[in-house]
Amino acid sequence: MEENNLETSGERKLNCGEMGKCFQLLESILDGEAMDEGKAVLDEKLAKCQPCFERYHLEQAIKEVLKTKCTKKAVPTELIMNIRSKIEEFK
Amino acid sequence: MSEVQRKKYSDKEKNDIFDNEFMPHIDSMYNFAYRLTFDEDDAKDLVQDTYLKAFRFINSFEQGTNAKAWLFRILKNSFINEYRKKSKQPPKVDYQEVETYYNSENVDYTITSDLRVDSVKDMLGDEISNALNSLAVDFRTVIILCDLEGFTYEEMAKILDIPIGTVRSRLHRARNLLKEKLRSYAQNMGYDTDEEI
Repeated sequence: MEENNLETSGERKLNCGEMGKCFQLLESILDGEAMDEGKAVLDEKLAKCQPCFERYHLEQAIKEVLKTKCTKKAVPTELIMNIRSKIEEFK
Repeated sequence: MSEVQRKKYSDKEKNDIFDNEFMPHIDSMYNFAYRLTFDEDDAKDLVQDTYLKAFRFINSFEQGTNAKAWLFRILKNSFINEYRKKSKQPPKVDYQEVETYYNSENVDYTITSDLRVDSVKDMLGDEISNALNSLAVDFRTVIILCDLEGFTYEEMAKILDIPIGTVRSRLHRARNLLKEKLRSYAQNMGYDTDEEI
């Protein structure tokens, strides 16, 4: 994997010394759960660490396609009518 | 669901809450139900049962609070208590083992994937959906709640009745499993993965 990164890594280091901690933080940031200090760390990680850079962008892409591309089903019109009529019966 | 009655709404207030705070979520509710059951009739029944329960217990809902999370919690509980039970699929797994695995907060964050960003972006909606649908229901659920519906970890913890640490670790495991599925799709479809170079 590292070999493939050589050309595109620029000044980023190719190994991450604290990968577990970083990946957990990156996921929290993408989920909007990280504190402000976490976001400050993110910029540095993305600029300086190739594994973190790749992981962040992969997770971001997956999150994005899940949100935008997952097939959605239209709510059957009779469902809304059935709910309303059952509620009326209940009243 | 807490069934402590905090409020005593008038009929008009009940109707207002139902129409303005509950019904706007029916699209998300139906899609969640369908992704749990994979059956249109079961999804309809599940959503209908959820809305009837929501109306019956409306006094335990605080107007203006998070109706969507409240409804999702009812739906999830109905699914577990009623629909999962009647599932035709017999249990094939050791539940103790699964429970330990699902709920362990001790999760390895260092697993890497050779899936490429471009491969992910090129995938079709059906491929993404199929990969998601192939995950076990507890893993599928956390991804639906977080990535499709945008719930926070705290909201997910309440919906699922599990600690936030478990939400975090289960989500991470789910994402690793999903990446593996997507990687298989990418290879089968002839998209690039690093492994093929």
